[in-house]
Amino acid sequence: MVADIHLGNVSKTFPAKAGKVEALGGIELDVARHEFVSVLGPSGCGKSTLLRIVAGLIPPSGGEVLVHGQPVDGPSSKVGIVFQSPVLLPWRTVLQNIELQVEVRKLDRAAFRDKAHKLISLVGLEGFADSYPYQLSGGMQQRVSLCRALIHDPSLLLMDEPFGALDALTREQMGLELQRVWLETKKTVLFITHSIAEAVFLSDRIVVMSARPGRIQEIVTVDIPRPRTLDAMKDPRFHQAVDRARKLMNAAGLPE
Amino acid sequence: MRSWIYPVGTVVILVVLWDVLVNAFSIPQYLIPAPETVVRHLIANWKFLLGHTWVTTYETAGGFLLSIVGGVLLAMAIVSSRAVDQAIMPLLILSQTFPKVAVAPLLIIWFGMGVQTKIFVAFLIAFFPVVIATVAGMRAVETETMELIRSMRATRMQIFWKIRLPAALPHFFSGLKVAVAFAVVGAVVGEWVGSEKGLGYLLLWANANLDTPMMFSVLVLLMVIGMILYYAVVWLERIAIPWHISVRGEGPQATI
Repeated sequence: MVADIHLGNVSKTFPAKAGKVEALGGIELDVARHEFVSVLGPSGCGKSTLLRIVAGLIPPSGGEVLVHGQPVDGPSSKVGIVFQSPVLLPWRTVLQNIELQVEVRKLDRAAFRDKAHKLISLVGLEGFADSYPYQLSGGMQQRVSLCRALIHDPSLLLMDEPFGALDALTREQMGLELQRVWLETKKTVLFITHSIAEAVFLSDRIVVMSARPGRIQEIVTVDIPRPRTLDAMKDPRFHQAVDRARKLMNAAGLPE
Repeated sequence: MRSWIYPVGTVVILVVLWDVLVNAFSIPQYLIPAPETVVRHLIANWKFLLGHTWVTTYETAGGFLLSIVGGVLLAMAIVSSRAVDQAIMPLLILSQTFPKVAVAPLLIIWFGMGVQTKIFVAFLIAFFPVVIATVAGMRAVETETMELIRSMRATRMQIFWKIRLPAALPHFFSGLKVAVAFAVVGAVVGEWVGSEKGLGYLLLWANANLDTPMMFSVLVLLMVIGMILYYAVVWLERIAIPWHISVRGEGPQATI
């Protein structure tokens, strides 16, 4: 089977004052269908850059980027993105924010209305469809942003530290919900984070990166059955994976 | 309406203070007339004053509306292209460095003594804040918002209508509030340079005749025009951007 995401020797250099800065180098990664893969690394390791390359928002400097076997040459309809901040438009209601994806892609709004409401209940926001973003908490806003990323039924869900701005408790809760949504919708997920526990809890595999230039150090497999509850954090396999990831992060010289 | 108490209170206190000072120091009428004298003068000459007030009002409103149209079009041009930005911006700033009063006589020579010249002077003074505010607003779109809309494969037109324009509205309205006050000044300046009607003309006439109650009456009417137009903008703002923090105040926030 063709991998949903294929990265072959991908590199990215940015122009800087003194020559160039190598943000990413020699990235080799295949993400299978329905797989949940996290990219874990210290800040500045190029993990967000990696996500933007897969999303087609920025081109790689070298290497091959394929989504469903097709070379990526710009944003595509197969991708939904959740950013670190919810990026909701303050003048639109929850429903209208979700429907932005439908409008801009010129899809049939009426046909997607039902789906929008289903997604809203899926993330537990019933009754908030007509609320404005300022009336919602940070966690609720991020759920809306998740709905918006899923409304056009992409096969790939790209998440760039989506829970990074939330408090620890909300963050755990959102992790549980994301797992539930993922199990229900069966997307292929590329999840960027700098939290080891979050990566281990959510992922099938964790790509641990080193910084400057961003390279893959090792890929850690997490073999805990789904659905995982918060009790999974007591599982010895959970600790093994966390230890391994932490060791790799520390070896990179930049602790979490 | 509690919100009326403070502004009305301030005005009442100032008028009382004015009255007390004029009486306490027996200030002659040709220097500062008592508030009562001004009110009497306003009432006695209301028909005459209303005619001139009307002239100045439509000159102001005309110049203001023109400054909105011209200002927004210019702002769109500046935002749409870096070349246009660099070509126009220095000229715009240059145009603000010389006093409009200085060119007003020239405009009278070019366009005549009619209403159109006053409208044009009002426009010249009022459009600058509109341009600056609208440009700032259209550029106040965050990187992630742009990435989001690009990930949806939005066209330039979609980005403009769905993101830049609504995002610019709060800044735009701030610009309008400055512009509306400037427009009154512009109309009066236009009338000073050459006219036979309008409040600016009355002001000059009253000055030449040392008719201080008339001058005060005109000043009061100018303030009334400015206030009415200003609050018309505020009213429009409330309708246009109910979601913005400057309008909604601090609403309740739900949490899950």
